[in-house]
Amino acid sequence: MTTSALSLPNLSNAYDDHQEKSRQAQRRADRWLMSGTIVMGTLILGLIGFPLFLRGLVLQVRAQRAGLAVRPMVCTLLGYLVIIDSALNSIGWSLDMVAHHTLINRTILTAWGNMVDGGYFWHYNELWIGGSGAPGEKAWEIALIPVVFCMRLAAAIGFLQMKRWGHQWLIVTCWFGVIIWVGYVANMTVFADVRFTNVVFPVIGWWIYDIFYITPFLAIPYLHTVNREIFSD
Amino acid sequence: MNTASTNQLPLGTTPPYARLHKWLQRGLFVCLTALVIEGTFTVPFLLLWYGWPTLSVVEVCSELQKVRYSDDSRECLFPYPLFGPAEGAGQKTAQDEWGVQPTPRYRKIGFRDLIKFRNERLARQAKAN
Repeated sequence: MTTSALSLPNLSNAYDDHQEKSRQAQRRADRWLMSGTIVMGTLILGLIGFPLFLRGLVLQVRAQRAGLAVRPMVCTLLGYLVIIDSALNSIGWSLDMVAHHTLINRTILTAWGNMVDGGYFWHYNELWIGGSGAPGEKAWEIALIPVVFCMRLAAAIGFLQMKRWGHQWLIVTCWFGVIIWVGYVANMTVFADVRFTNVVFPVIGWWIYDIFYITPFLAIPYLHTVNREIFSD
Repeated sequence: MNTASTNQLPLGTTPPYARLHKWLQRGLFVCLTALVIEGTFTVPFLLLWYGWPTLSVVEVCSELQKVRYSDDSRECLFPYPLFGPAEGAGQKTAQDEWGVQPTPRYRKIGFRDLIKFRNERLARQAKAN
């Protein structure tokens, strides 16, 4: 008889063992993924962070093929890309809000503005609050950076932990993203003369540069169609 | 029955949404790669376009200010005093058509044009002297 082989303690040990190995494998992959994400979030060190991130993905894929219970690939990509998206948006706008008189900002951000978005060149640092003086721009920065992107960052972390609240709040904050895009583009359109007159690559240049920040639009279809049972309380 | 193919689907993906999730994953990879490349090359590309290394970073900053406010006497103060006033506060030289939708009238800056602007200005000043 193989009763001993099928006894509950053995089965439970095997299950616990599998869970523990899965947890360790995911943790190991996440260390590389997080490091890569943090480095990519600095903007300028992107190509250094990318291989670190890919290493984490490879570790996760290997763990999955070995039969361990790891996070689905698309959840990993989505969660970390939302974090990178939040970081990249935040770095530019935070510099504009609080570091507007640094040399790097007065040179690089205004140069970027002159190239694709005149709102960051026209009358820059003339407002008492400093930074961009384009109509409505400061309001967007103040609404988005301390509120929306912080919330989205927190939601992405919860989502990566496969928490139910993470999934729910990522839905909420990604729908905010739809409002952001519609409102921000509408504002730029109404004041298009400020934004695009004598800019090096007007309109198309802005869209080519910024279209890759559409992560929330990719997230929303997934978040609404994924089987929610995989997210735990 | 396609249990075998269902078993190959990632966790959380059901058969009706398998194709959507596959394309979303590809889109996410494209966005990630593009953001990384953009981020890495933004600063070097901008500096090269606006005249570095012929112009130093401070000179690029100064030339951009001269164009922005249409004023050849403007210089980039570096380091800027920590609690100083806004750099452009009170300026009167910027060329704009004002109205409910203002239109800037600064000159367009092409590839490494700031170097050309600086050289033209220095030539004008030398001639005036």
